[in-house]
Amino acid sequence: MIPLSYNLRSIVVRRTTSAAAVIGIALVVFVLASTLMLSAGIRDTLSRNGGVDSVVVIRKGSDNELSSIIDQNKVGTILSAPGVARSDGDIPIGTGEIAMIVQLAPTGNPLGLTNVQMRGVDPTVLQKIRPRFRIVEGRMMAPGTDEAIVGRAIEGQFEHLAVGDTIEPKKNLPLKVVGTFEDGGSSLESELWADIDTTRAAFGRQGIVSSVRARLDDPSSFAAFEMTVESDKNLGLEAMTETEWSDKQSQFLSIFVTALGVIISFFFAIGAIIGAMITMYASIANRQQEIGTLRAIGFRRRHVLLSFILESVLLALTGGVLGCLAALGMSFVKFSILNFVTFSQMVFKFHATPSVFGVALVFTVGMGVLGGLLPAMRAARMSPVEAMRN
Amino acid sequence: MMDATAQQKPGAAAAPLVSLRAIKKTYWRGKEPVPVLDGLDLEVPAGSFEALMGPSGSGKSTLLHLIAGLDRPTAGEVVVGGKTISTMGESELARWRAATIGFIFQSFNLIPVLTAQQNVELPLLLTKLSSADRKKRAQTALRIVGLEDRLHHFPRQLSGGQEQRVAIARAIVNDPQILVADEPTGDLDRQSADDVLTLMTRLNQELGKTILMVTHDPAAAERASIRRRLDKGVLV
Amino acid sequence: MSLLRLAATNLRRNLLRSLLTIAGVSVAVVTFLMLRTVIWAWNAAADEAVPDRVVTRHKVTFIMTLPHRYLDDIRQTAGVREATAANWFGGKEPNHPNEFFQALAVDPETWFTVYPEMVIPEEDLADWKTDRQGMITGDVIAGKFGWKKGDTVTLESNIFEGEWQFHVSGFYTPTKRSVDRNTVMFHWAYFNEQSPGKEQVGWIISRTQGDPNEVGRRIDRMFDERDIQTVSQDEATFQRSWLAGFSAIIYAINIVSVVILLIMMMILGNTVAMGVRERIPEYGVLRAIGFLPRHLVALVVGEAVVLGLLGGLLGLGLAYPIVQEGIGRWLEENVQGFFPYFDISPGNAVLAVLLAIGLAVLASALPALQASRLGVVDALRRVG
Repeated sequence: MIPLSYNLRSIVVRRTTSAAAVIGIALVVFVLASTLMLSAGIRDTLSRNGGVDSVVVIRKGSDNELSSIIDQNKVGTILSAPGVARSDGDIPIGTGEIAMIVQLAPTGNPLGLTNVQMRGVDPTVLQKIRPRFRIVEGRMMAPGTDEAIVGRAIEGQFEHLAVGDTIEPKKNLPLKVVGTFEDGGSSLESELWADIDTTRAAFGRQGIVSSVRARLDDPSSFAAFEMTVESDKNLGLEAMTETEWSDKQSQFLSIFVTALGVIISFFFAIGAIIGAMITMYASIANRQQEIGTLRAIGFRRRHVLLSFILESVLLALTGGVLGCLAALGMSFVKFSILNFVTFSQMVFKFHATPSVFGVALVFTVGMGVLGGLLPAMRAARMSPVEAMRN
Repeated sequence: MMDATAQQKPGAAAAPLVSLRAIKKTYWRGKEPVPVLDGLDLEVPAGSFEALMGPSGSGKSTLLHLIAGLDRPTAGEVVVGGKTISTMGESELARWRAATIGFIFQSFNLIPVLTAQQNVELPLLLTKLSSADRKKRAQTALRIVGLEDRLHHFPRQLSGGQEQRVAIARAIVNDPQILVADEPTGDLDRQSADDVLTLMTRLNQELGKTILMVTHDPAAAERASIRRRLDKGVLV
Repeated sequence: MSLLRLAATNLRRNLLRSLLTIAGVSVAVVTFLMLRTVIWAWNAAADEAVPDRVVTRHKVTFIMTLPHRYLDDIRQTAGVREATAANWFGGKEPNHPNEFFQALAVDPETWFTVYPEMVIPEEDLADWKTDRQGMITGDVIAGKFGWKKGDTVTLESNIFEGEWQFHVSGFYTPTKRSVDRNTVMFHWAYFNEQSPGKEQVGWIISRTQGDPNEVGRRIDRMFDERDIQTVSQDEATFQRSWLAGFSAIIYAINIVSVVILLIMMMILGNTVAMGVRERIPEYGVLRAIGFLPRHLVALVVGEAVVLGLLGGLLGLGLAYPIVQEGIGRWLEENVQGFFPYFDISPGNAVLAVLLAIGLAVLASALPALQASRLGVVDALRRVG
């Protein structure tokens, strides 16, 4: 009932104190929104690995590909299970892959060895197995050679990972980097890929693969595929769609980042709310005459209460918008984290989604209400007479 | 000074508009009670222009606040326009004030971040009038006080006298029965004070507003039809 | 009455605002200490490392195994006093599949010599050495699974097939906080006969004399020409290499710590500025009486410092129960690998309070300057 312009203009008129409260809230919202964006980025990147028409088969009970061991001669059996898509010549579209961790030096830090996921693949079937795969620079490696390709996300992040370089992840295993690849923004872009036989020989993985990947002819075929593959207890295998698989990998990390961010934001928020309260109390103290006049004219306590809570919310929203804008700027930043499940570095982006900003908005309004509540109650409690006393 | 020249309008043998009976008002300073009014009776006829005078601490402002429904007496009864306001609850009093009383303060008490028109519109926000109607009424009120060319000025852009006139426009915009003025000329220079007082006289004579004014200013008191004096909480 | 006394008394004039400011500063201090302690704790594990221990692993990745004979070779190397080996078992308790613990197949004769901070009663150790299927476990994990001495327990592995049976020979007690209490150790020989890859160890740990890094280099040089190369690092370096993966998070936490300090400064600055604005008339009176501009500066900064100090101390007082006892204990029990110690170090505590005071001075600089520049007459004119 008390016009909103009264509140808006009062905020603007008290520039400095309003600015202090606004900046405080902006900082909190920035931290919260950035964290939520990172968490969304993690889920988003890892979800791009997914696909309900692709399957992964690993050894039963393995949390990750690294500890999964499958006999190479079982690969054919797995790929002949029902549901696997076939190309012309009735050849099943699938392959075994070897997953490894190697230690590479980040660019500019030659002693700081970090784990990077390496994968031994069959270059001849890559494109069929992974439809979103593309070479973006250079060329694909030739099968059976010591050539390698590098995922776009880590290119340049580690020493010797540019096209034309030679990298030696293991002594006496020089690999020539001949190309850079993309895979629709998935986490595979944080990997180094080499020929599967070269990898097998170099790392002593004779006769085994880490996982088997295949395309399904139709998502509904998964059930039959799973049943066949898992039925043989001796084989001890577990089948999942790529989507399920990537969910498993990303859950922990995403929860960890979210939890950390929310806890920090919570503490920050208390500080920002206190800042807003101080501003509001001061503002109200200086406007006692105005408040008294409004009450004398006939505005009731609840009008005053609502008006000042609204003013606090307006302050908060200003800060919230600023914080969100700043967080949007983080979209251009890459964040490299050790994935606990795969023990390798993964590079993630900050992903702005509507729900991130929805949460930030609710949080902002909440801070505004909490910060303004007590001061507004004081304002409402003023009797017109004492308010107008000079 | 005993000067109770009452100017009665012809045929006005009506009941008084304002009636105070056995009014006591005590304030508290810490644990010390400070009695300001102690058993006061007063009647104000409709359409009168009354001045309340007296030294500091005499209780004249307190009396004004009681009549205006800003405060309740510690004991006694306040009846205005047939309603016993001394027993009304907060909310009810607020509604009653909005409908019945127009306020004029010594320091004008305009909201600095609102324009003249917006300030005058304020009391109308408590009614159910549409935005267009509110604007029209505010403009009319400002025309009455002679400031229709200052609709969109902020208080800091107006002179003291102009500010007080905007305040008066705000006070009459809801067409209240009673105007309550607390030292209306206290912050004004002589010329502006005269203008304001002339305006108030017009409101009383042409629009029939009952005016209760607390003042130190002899010139202001001159304009009133009834002068009362308060000393130590007692009408003398 | 000194100026500082006057400054402190002034804070009582708007008690609510002063209290809110102190509360705000204290919240910032608690958050700051929490963040700093996270980083400190992460490093603490590395700091607790025993300086003469060297960890030797496969050069490419620790996931790959070394030949068991390397253990003998290392024992013969100059500078190595004793060496032991461990394999990662990837153990799971079938009845509690989600409960994580470390399961290691170790060399029973030498393990506890190389790790003296795991203390075990003599007879339990002797029992274990003679029982091929014997197992020594940490007390926390034994508690979670309800294991008692003498029990026969079954474990499965994430990596190896089948069910493995062990006899609980006893419990170890750590003498250092950084030692995990969720570890179980059993005989490498028992492991070796059941596992597919034979005669392999995961990594080798040596106690050395002389310069541990020199010994490590010596070891690596020895294996350089063979099929499988090694990397040997002293324990501190080995543990710190884990942190490298989290460098981005640590960087982010550091940035966030700065942000919280900024918030603290906002709150302080705002309050001080408001106070100055309100008291301009009084400053005029003080100057008229004969006080100098620098006295006014002292007054303004003094008030700010009192606020900062009280807020810092309050924050410190709150931090101990919240951060150390609350969050800290939970982390220590559940994520002990990362946070063996979650204590607020004295260094961090002092830092936090000093920062509160320092930021108070910084935040009050501008308002103090304004107060000192006031013209006496201007200030007085604003009286009444």
